[in-house]
Amino acid sequence: MKLKAKARSFAQGVIMAGISVFAVSAAQAEDVTVWAWDPNFNGAAMQLAAEHYKRTNPDFNLVFEVFAREEVEQKLQTQLAAGTTQGLPDIVLIEDYSAQKFLLSFPGAFEPLNDTLDYSQFADYKVQLATVGDQTYSVPFDSGVTGWFYRSDILEEAGYGADDLENITWNRFIEIAKDVHAKTGKPMLSLDLNDPGMIVVMLQSTGSWFFDDNGELNLVNNPAFRAVMETYGEILQTPEIYKVVNGWAEYTSSFTGGDVASTITGVWITGTIKAADMPGQWAVAPIPRIEGVEGARNASNLGGSSWYVLASSDNMETTKDFLATVWGNDIDFYQEILVGQGAVGSLLRVREGEAYQSSDDYYGGQPVWQNFSQWLGEIPGVDFGIFTYEVRSAIATQLPDIANGGDIDQAIQRAEAEARVLTQ
Amino acid sequence: MTGVGFAKETGTLAAAGQYRRPARFQPLRFLKGVFVYGLLSLAAFVSIFPFYWMLVGTTNSAVDIVRGKANFGDHFWINVTNLFAQVDIPRVLFNSFFISILATVLTLVISSAAGYAFEVFRSRFRERIFAALLLMLSIPFAALMVPLFVMMAGVGLINTYTAVIAPAIANIFIIFYFRQATKAFPSELRDAARIDGLKEWQIFLRVYFPVMQSTYAAATIIVFMLNWNNYLWPLIVLQTNDMKTMVLVISSLASAYVPDYGVVMVATVITTLPTLVIFFILQRLFVQGMLGSVK
Repeated sequence: MKLKAKARSFAQGVIMAGISVFAVSAAQAEDVTVWAWDPNFNGAAMQLAAEHYKRTNPDFNLVFEVFAREEVEQKLQTQLAAGTTQGLPDIVLIEDYSAQKFLLSFPGAFEPLNDTLDYSQFADYKVQLATVGDQTYSVPFDSGVTGWFYRSDILEEAGYGADDLENITWNRFIEIAKDVHAKTGKPMLSLDLNDPGMIVVMLQSTGSWFFDDNGELNLVNNPAFRAVMETYGEILQTPEIYKVVNGWAEYTSSFTGGDVASTITGVWITGTIKAADMPGQWAVAPIPRIEGVEGARNASNLGGSSWYVLASSDNMETTKDFLATVWGNDIDFYQEILVGQGAVGSLLRVREGEAYQSSDDYYGGQPVWQNFSQWLGEIPGVDFGIFTYEVRSAIATQLPDIANGGDIDQAIQRAEAEARVLTQ
Repeated sequence: MTGVGFAKETGTLAAAGQYRRPARFQPLRFLKGVFVYGLLSLAAFVSIFPFYWMLVGTTNSAVDIVRGKANFGDHFWINVTNLFAQVDIPRVLFNSFFISILATVLTLVISSAAGYAFEVFRSRFRERIFAALLLMLSIPFAALMVPLFVMMAGVGLINTYTAVIAPAIANIFIIFYFRQATKAFPSELRDAARIDGLKEWQIFLRVYFPVMQSTYAAATIIVFMLNWNNYLWPLIVLQTNDMKTMVLVISSLASAYVPDYGVVMVATVITTLPTLVIFFILQRLFVQGMLGSVK
């Protein structure tokens, strides 16, 4: 008994000592804390925004904590589910595909910003994805506006100039890819069969999505989705026009290392392409368009993220003013993050700025930023819903079968059945 | 360490050879040898190559690593400088060491005492409590995370070392491990110590502890590695850059859109070294401890 009592008092002592010694005081009330995942990209942009704001508000202090994208989501989810706001930041970056999941799962956790920002100034699709009912919650940040990044030297060798690649259809794309392979021996694309990102790009370009207006799964009876799968299946069954890659590192090295002639992805890939140090050998065209679907465009989106304000912020006024002043208005700031971080913002007015007007020698003197911001305005808005990633993985499991010539309709049915299980 | 192991190996072979008749060439045995050594070399290659790749990676630029360059380059100092510029490494290393060492010591103290007590003291509920503990092993941590977070927030411990260490110290597996090891602890020793007038806690400290050193060594390695590599809970409960551990730093370094793999590799080497060092220091005791627990 005595021993137990001693042990108990010892344990209590240890815990008390722990609390007193290691309790770290929370961030100062006037600090604005931000969680984001890339210190060279979104983190750097946010810190630059803070510097701009400090010019008029010298007392402002921004604290940037870096966590991986999945980590930010996991931390938010655990903490909001635990119902405690202790230690939550004031501003958090959320990837666009996950926005609805958080907004619908945790009503009241995020602060609507309709009174803070003029949403008509931002790209329409970025506003839609962060809107629930008549409230919009995000400060739209980087766009994943897509482009067809191609090696101009390789395509020229095969006899194709920039004009031949403007606003074409996917069928024309496949023809060109076959021809390029015949003439240069290079496949056009690199595809990771575990990552159906290309399907996501194609689908959004038609203005349709995995879910209907009520949030119900919408694959089997969705003509746009069928057209997308058919097009993708056609590419998969033309093995000479793509190289199979596994994972992100292999994917990026496939086009920076010159194994393939092009890649179709979000504008954020610019950093990787420029790191390859091949000035003048690259160019960008609009992505091909899906044939036979009304409203399909030569513009789409992949990825992208937005800033959200936690309703629990103890520094709400400063946080909102900061976001409205810099992210909602400061055109110069957007020029700086375009040049410095390669971040294409979602504020449409910024395209009038100097950096957006300039041409880029890396891309053979094309006015790429002007093009991207034009395409940005054309991206069809869709409601990403809650389960985008679940449906993506359900589709991914069908890709090997499609590549082997399996029936498209059956594959769609199986994908829907699996997606149903995953989204329950 | 490998040197010692090698000498020992050849010593055994030589000793065994003395009793063997002069060997004739036996093709079957030869083929078997080729097969066995071939297989072992393959296994060795598979386990050693990632380490080699990691070391090579520290000396190459991110572009070279992605291209698959497999020999040493001249980027080492640039990678190291970049890492130290991006992350407050001394602080992060301190966090990792502080959490791991304190958690290891406390786990060993509490869990070994619990394991010892479970085996030595009889009680009506002993087996039931123990069975309940073992059942709890099957609950995934993800299910405990939210309630644990609520508890920690309730006592204001979010973003503290205590919040990371406290849930780790009553480690059911280590309790089980010590209970199993205690089965091999001769009861005669305990009886003798009792006759000599030692109290129970004295028996534990002065008799049990010295006898079970190899078990403690094995448990030290296991618990230290567990805490050093712990990811999910520190991720959830630590909120600021200055509280992060090495594992969390690697994770956030690798998540950038354009990860600098050279820098990631340097961080990985720094993170791997302490577990390697501890393993090699305690290796001989570790092997004994593992054998002891099966007896």
